[in-house]
Amino acid sequence: MNRMIISFWRIVKAGGKNFLRNNWLSVAATAVMMVALTIMLSAVVLNVTTRNAIKELSKQIKVTVYLKDDVKAERRDIIISRLKSEPSVADVSFISRQEATRRFKTTQNADDKAFIEQALALTGAETLPESLEISLTDLSQSGAIVKIAKEDGYKDVVDDVSVGKNDVAKETISRATSAQKYIVRGSIFAAVLFAAVSVLIIFNTIRMAIFTRSEEIRIMKLIGATPGYIRGPFLIESCIYGIIAGVLSNTAVYGAILSLGPKIQNQSEFSATYSFFTSNLVMAGMLFGAIVAGMLVGIVSSLLAMNKYLKLKHW
Amino acid sequence: MILLDRVTKTYNRKGIALERISLHVEPKEFVIIVGASGAGKSTLLKLLTREEKPTSGKIIVGGIDYGRLKDKDIPYLRRKIGVVFQDFKLLPGKTVFENVAFALEIIGLSNKEIRHTVPKVLDLVGLKGKEEAYPGELSGGERQRVAIARAVVRQPKILIADEPTGNLDPKHAWDVIRVLEKINHYGTTVLLTTHNQDIVNKLKRRVVTISDGHVVSDQAGGTYKG
Repeated sequence: MNRMIISFWRIVKAGGKNFLRNNWLSVAATAVMMVALTIMLSAVVLNVTTRNAIKELSKQIKVTVYLKDDVKAERRDIIISRLKSEPSVADVSFISRQEATRRFKTTQNADDKAFIEQALALTGAETLPESLEISLTDLSQSGAIVKIAKEDGYKDVVDDVSVGKNDVAKETISRATSAQKYIVRGSIFAAVLFAAVSVLIIFNTIRMAIFTRSEEIRIMKLIGATPGYIRGPFLIESCIYGIIAGVLSNTAVYGAILSLGPKIQNQSEFSATYSFFTSNLVMAGMLFGAIVAGMLVGIVSSLLAMNKYLKLKHW
Repeated sequence: MILLDRVTKTYNRKGIALERISLHVEPKEFVIIVGASGAGKSTLLKLLTREEKPTSGKIIVGGIDYGRLKDKDIPYLRRKIGVVFQDFKLLPGKTVFENVAFALEIIGLSNKEIRHTVPKVLDLVGLKGKEEAYPGELSGGERQRVAIARAVVRQPKILIADEPTGNLDPKHAWDVIRVLEKINHYGTTVLLTTHNQDIVNKLKRRVVTISDGHVVSDQAGGTYKG
């Protein structure tokens, strides 16, 4: 067991030496892998950011169900439960007369204010009606929610239903959703492309290392080195590329998040995203993911090179 | 210790290298294998180090039947056989000490054990004080003695020396032969291939002559006319 640990440590040291010995090739291999991993991490960040932003935007668009006067609390609760049971409904909140009046008094939009005052004057109503405000997770389902509210069973409760000025917002969200799809697809394509380029570069780096050390490898074989002892340093070398590239790409992506984040985190669309990416668990996960992905690319490349050029099958 | 029973080795391009060779070497023997270039000496040694597989026949070395040997066991077989080459096969970027230590590093010996063992072997081959020198700074004879030190540092039962004096002048060639004799004296079986008539005739050891892939003579205290 002790000998195995000593051998493993020697393999790690030899891999480190190889990495330093092939300095320029190592820099090139690490740099390309870093680009690939940075694109991959950026794709993750963009995907989460756009998803959260769309979700937040969707929440801001509400379906309002105006209730008839003097609706009993039990009847009101029934329709609230029915609406909450819909998967596309994020939340249902009851707006009392007092709350509606308070909101009206504190609203900053002069046009809205004038419009509501005019409407109240025309209808002869003295106070604003009670209502239910429904937030949606999926805007395309707003029609279905309106339909539920207008069902015959709720005729004694529901006075009217409004989807408000949602068309423009819907359009914006629809554009954001399709942009998100393109961003994700483009990022995946670019990450795969650069990963392929880094596989090729590492493949060549290891191939060169095998040729340079061919005499040493032959001597190692003849004096009884196992295939694992011969292959090990090449695998370690390519893992080092992955680890360094993983750390650097993570640093680059987090550099961008931490410098841009504070400027936009006060906007409701981005605050959840910023908190998500700056939590310790996610930061550790992103670093770990980048390192593992880098190591995998490195290991695959060096295994391909060794299978082709390191003739260990026929001793 | 070494048994070859009707061993044949055929190459696709070069044809027959060895044909139905039988040879038996006792433990602690010093056997010289002679023959012209292309006679099959190196092929014979490559079969013993398992660099080549026989086309037919049986090879048993130190109780290991090569016919039953799996590929994964080859490194462990080679750890029991020391090999010395005509062109030394030293690593130029490593010092004398590091070249010898290399053979111990690959089997996982600790640095402490290596520091304890290597100087003793360098002393045995007459290279005390040359530990920090690089192969490029040594004479041919000294380089070959480094190679011998590397081959015997794990105390193998068998030492195979393939034309170890081929690149050396007579004085250095004899230095190397004296080291091989010393190692044999301590109990290691030595198989030496050489063209050097003077060495063969003065050593007065068992001489196996190979010609065109066949053993044509096998004499104790034999001689050789090249």
